[in-house]
Amino acid sequence: MTEVALLGRRAVREVVRYPEATIPTLFIPLFFLAVNIGQVSKTFPSTTPFLKGEGYVAFQLPVSLMFAVATATSGLALVTEIDLGYFDKLLVAPIRRSSIILGRLTADLVRGIATSTLVLLVGIALGARIRTGVAGAVVIVLLAALFGVAYAGFGLLVALRTRNVQATQSSFLLFFPLLFLTPNFVPFNRLSPLMETLAHINPVSYVIVGLRSLVIDGWNAGELAVCILVIVAMGIVLTGLSLRVIATYDRS
Amino acid sequence: MLETMDYDRRADRLLTREDLTGAAIAARSLRRTFKGGIEAVRDIDLTVSRGEVFGFLGPNGAGKTTTVRMLCTLLPPTAGTAAVAGLDVVRDAADVRRRIGVALQEIGLDPVQTGRELLELQCGLYGITGERGRRRTGELLDLVGLTEAADRRTKTYSGGMKRRLDLATALVHSPEVLFLDEPTTGLDPASRLTIWDEVRRINADGATVFLTTQYLEEADKLCDRLAIIDNGRIVAEGTPAQLKAEMGHDVVSVSVDASEVAATEVALAGLPGLERVVAEADGLALYVEDGASSIPEVVRRLERERIRASAISVARPSLDDVFLKATGRRLEGQDTNQPTTGVSS
Repeated sequence: MTEVALLGRRAVREVVRYPEATIPTLFIPLFFLAVNIGQVSKTFPSTTPFLKGEGYVAFQLPVSLMFAVATATSGLALVTEIDLGYFDKLLVAPIRRSSIILGRLTADLVRGIATSTLVLLVGIALGARIRTGVAGAVVIVLLAALFGVAYAGFGLLVALRTRNVQATQSSFLLFFPLLFLTPNFVPFNRLSPLMETLAHINPVSYVIVGLRSLVIDGWNAGELAVCILVIVAMGIVLTGLSLRVIATYDRS
Repeated sequence: MLETMDYDRRADRLLTREDLTGAAIAARSLRRTFKGGIEAVRDIDLTVSRGEVFGFLGPNGAGKTTTVRMLCTLLPPTAGTAAVAGLDVVRDAADVRRRIGVALQEIGLDPVQTGRELLELQCGLYGITGERGRRRTGELLDLVGLTEAADRRTKTYSGGMKRRLDLATALVHSPEVLFLDEPTTGLDPASRLTIWDEVRRINADGATVFLTTQYLEEADKLCDRLAIIDNGRIVAEGTPAQLKAEMGHDVVSVSVDASEVAATEVALAGLPGLERVVAEADGLALYVEDGASSIPEVVRRLERERIRASAISVARPSLDDVFLKATGRRLEGQDTNQPTTGVSS
């Protein structure tokens, strides 16, 4: 555990000292939030049934949160480390290889909390109200950050498998279909049949719906449980795959 | 772990109890083949005694780094066995890692951290935490002369400073065996001498040093014993003095046009005191008992055959002559980035 803490502290220090890696990841979600609200607010006024009296910004906020936390930053940091040779230094140290991954994920958690707090505050400044209050806001931030941690496993996996900076950078692009094949603009029942089917298959949909329920509906145990379940499942699968790859890295 | 003689069926030949207990590093029939059938290391045998500075000399691509990576547990051998500090590098990899220090060819530093932070982290990874870690970090910063730069991020360090910090990170736990993979490549002569001094000091403190290099002078001056590796095979092994002594007493180098090498060899055959001749692309290396007294006869024979030599020189045999004898080509001058004081490939 000590080694995870040590490597986590190093990775967090890296986040703090290298804001250039985090700031661009905030630009897109904030840009989308502002543009989407600007374009669609009149189409979907607060009297729209699915908004339940809230502004469209409240509906869009979870989508921007997803965008803010789902990054390939950790994967990029890892592949850079592989490139620079520091990764070998860690591999030859008497530590569990899993601690290298878990240390990186610690930084994702910290970064996720920071970025999702910022996006949430911007959303509130743009008029969103959190139906579940401060406690709900805290849960939203934590769940969004945990989703970021779960998704980071994918970037780490690509970094370890390809050992290529460009490939790891490009891995972020996969998130676009995952984010847009969801009820991101309208609820499930307002999507076309094909899109609705795809959105139902897409696990990210349930994270958005869960977070959205905290913003618009109030405490909805069912949607929250599914949201948590999806985040945990994604985390187990993606982190598990990364741990497996690092365990066998250069051992064959 | 030392009970059996047949502890590893992967080995063509086995490591003996003596290998394990007496040697800092022992390898038998060690082989590494990469995808596509590329044989980077071909069945090498090595024994490095405790307390030695052992050099692994060879040109780029000879198999030096692959060997080091296998011995450091970073890469599994395709075949054969190896033990470091008495422990099998595959089966006891975790224990081996506790006993070795490693500074690889690519300097492994995190550019975002300061020198002090990196060393404290490294101490922590070896279980040296808190005040002990801070104290050890201070000692190592002093040792490698980086105390003043300790709180600067490593990306601001010069090549020599990075190399010294990398070396320090390999020393946090006072390893029994220290692997240095081309520790002076790319360094200026002054930084190179500093690293040499540090290697000597580390060795004097009791650590066995396994050092790969492509610099002849480095191998000659720093190593108690060395092995020359070429194309994945060890082609010569011994102390620098032994290896050079095997070459004969003096080397007379005769430079001629490439088209006249064969004729020159015929002309100089049977030269009095001649021990060995090695033909090169543009001349011959004659290993003779007495170089100075051989020159007049060499000149006479060349004149008689109307062969024009562009240069004739006499020298004591060098490790490059050893390399030439073993591989048929020189290591010297193959690297355009070589230092003025050393020779590389």
